[in-house]
Amino acid sequence: MPEGATAVAVAESDFSLASRRRPRWSRHRIAGATAPYALLAPAAVVIGAVLGYPLYLIARLSFEKYGLFELIRHKGTWIGLDNYTEIIHDSQFWRVLLRTVAFTVVNVSLTMVLGTAIALLLVRLGLFMRYLLTGALVFVWATPVVVAVDVWRWMVDPQFGIANWALTKLHIGDFVRHDWFVNPWSGFAVITALVVWGAIPFVAITVFAGLSQVPEELIEAAQIDGARSRNVFREVTLPLLKPIFVILTSLSIIWDFQVFNQIWIMLDQRPSTDYFTMSVYSFVESFRISEYGLGSAIAVVMVLIMLAVTFVYVRQMVKAGEVH
Amino acid sequence: MKVRYLAAALLAAMLAVAVSTASGGTSSAQADKLVVWLQDDAKNGWPEAVAAATKALQAKHPGVGVDIEYQQWPTHLTKFDAAIAGNNAPDVVEMGNTETTKYMAAGAFASLRAKSFPNSKKWLVALKGSCSFNGKLYCVPYYAGARAVIYRKDYYRQAGIKGTPKTLAQFVAGGKKLMKKFGKDRNFSAVYFPGKNWYASMQFVYDYGGQIAVRKNGKWKGTLNSPQAIRGFTVLKGIVRSLSRAPLTVDESHPYPSIPMAKGSVAAFIGNGWEWPYTLDPKVGNPDLADVMGAYPMPSHVKGRYMPTFLGGSDLAVPVTSSKKSLAIDWIAAFTASAQQRTISKAGNIPNATNLASFTKGLPKVEPFAQAAKFSWFVPTAANWVNVENANVLQDMCSQIFSGRKTVKAATTSASNAITRILNAG
Repeated sequence: MPEGATAVAVAESDFSLASRRRPRWSRHRIAGATAPYALLAPAAVVIGAVLGYPLYLIARLSFEKYGLFELIRHKGTWIGLDNYTEIIHDSQFWRVLLRTVAFTVVNVSLTMVLGTAIALLLVRLGLFMRYLLTGALVFVWATPVVVAVDVWRWMVDPQFGIANWALTKLHIGDFVRHDWFVNPWSGFAVITALVVWGAIPFVAITVFAGLSQVPEELIEAAQIDGARSRNVFREVTLPLLKPIFVILTSLSIIWDFQVFNQIWIMLDQRPSTDYFTMSVYSFVESFRISEYGLGSAIAVVMVLIMLAVTFVYVRQMVKAGEVH
Repeated sequence: MKVRYLAAALLAAMLAVAVSTASGGTSSAQADKLVVWLQDDAKNGWPEAVAAATKALQAKHPGVGVDIEYQQWPTHLTKFDAAIAGNNAPDVVEMGNTETTKYMAAGAFASLRAKSFPNSKKWLVALKGSCSFNGKLYCVPYYAGARAVIYRKDYYRQAGIKGTPKTLAQFVAGGKKLMKKFGKDRNFSAVYFPGKNWYASMQFVYDYGGQIAVRKNGKWKGTLNSPQAIRGFTVLKGIVRSLSRAPLTVDESHPYPSIPMAKGSVAAFIGNGWEWPYTLDPKVGNPDLADVMGAYPMPSHVKGRYMPTFLGGSDLAVPVTSSKKSLAIDWIAAFTASAQQRTISKAGNIPNATNLASFTKGLPKVEPFAQAAKFSWFVPTAANWVNVENANVLQDMCSQIFSGRKTVKAATTSASNAITRILNAG
């Protein structure tokens, strides 16, 4: 029996022992019942202060007319759902939403597939190469986003970038002064490469950690039964690692859905509308056009979409827990 | 299974990341110091004038500290808005003359009396206009700037161009000679013209009789798709496609054209006076070019005229939230005094008042720009104008036209519609 299961079993027997006692309002009991809440309180207060309160403010702003005039007076005007109706009737909003969803799907898929592939590679590598690769992954993961974006921007610079130079030298085509961002498709390809590159290490290392927990004997048993490695992966490894995959995918969705820095810095803080994703759109409406109410409404819609995704994922987690 | 603990750890990590990304803010102003926000042009071009103003203020008010915080054009308004929201605004703020109207209309600036400031009777009309709203004064003209062609005399000579072009046709013919002579270098531009350089693009629109927008019966209407404007764009598109190899998705400050010029791959660009010394900067430029640089006003397609240049400029305002308004006014007065204006002019700018015009006489680095300013255009004076700039409507349109992603007609029509919508927004 795997270690974890024993621990859970022990915990359960503890619990059943406790519940067998007769309920009584002793001081000890009240302390016991409130202790968990007392322990949770500091974290809850911090989260409430740094996440809950701003979230409340954004929600309130989204129902107000709040431009520069209101900003200076620190007082908005309540306009109910007007901001939301404006968004819904704005064709740009729907284009941006669709673009963001597509961007997320592509980025998450690439991240998960490539990350898992690298994790599987790590398992098979010798010790030296494994350390080398892990080290490289950690370096990528540790690179601050702003630095990473600048490095990539230099690489794809039309005039002085190494990408154009190398592609031309390799006779892949004539890339002299090729501007990757004229065409949004190739521009987004660069941004996707950057985002996926930055996200792979986390997935790869986590999946690798998960893989090392798959019991040898299960794989051996499957192999003795004649399963090929592809089948072993699909029938044994995948189901066992499902909780990890579900979480990694959900996290990746959450991160990729709100990609901002990569686009913003890559395009000199002035991305053209072809490059608007939800977070960029919200930022531009708020801080460039000074329509803070409208920008907040877009942000609220984003939060709601994220909530829906998280809800699906939490349900998955609970279900997975029930099966075990 | 350990997998579940791993999952729990991941959850914790997610929360940590969520918390850590929910931060951000601006620099905090010190309570006892006068906080001045200037654009970094002053830091690079005329730091002596800034120091002199602070010294003059401290002579008048001993012991007063002045904190100069340098800002950058693309982000300074966002930072200023955040500072206002956080009750943390500076005591003096510099703004471009296209940016002030929105802030005056919103009541962001304290009203001022002209006579508190030197040379105020002779202020440039265009700059004073950008500081006036409903008959009141809300900011102080700081300096003006005009664009001219900054060029390499040695390249022009080697390509066989005699003198400087007097008409647009001559300008284009010269550009073709340059491309023939130097074009083998695939980074070479006879006229380096970044795709989002909308200020220089609008020169062509106004030269051919077009306008950005007109006001009729109290309503604004974008007019960049008028036949005149389309002609201007079409002529310019031909120039950009044949004479420039600048990237088409960047603006004129990423990088500054002076940087490729210092590297030797640019014969000319349309730029501000202060970009000339920038080309020679030992750190980002090439001081060896000092003797081969020149400038001339961009010629019009009509003989004997210059192409109308954007009359840019900067103003200095006192935010309404400042608690040190009289100190702020004294600092601005010291900074716009004639002595400081002379320093600022020498760095390549047009002084803020007509009685100081002689400052630019005989300065080869400033005079062509002052001449160019004889024909000028300005953005529509609508309260919402700066939103058009901030939404990148014109930059995107220019980039689309020059790259050929949209036809001139399609790009100008959608930009005109956007301008109409933004300028008339409540």
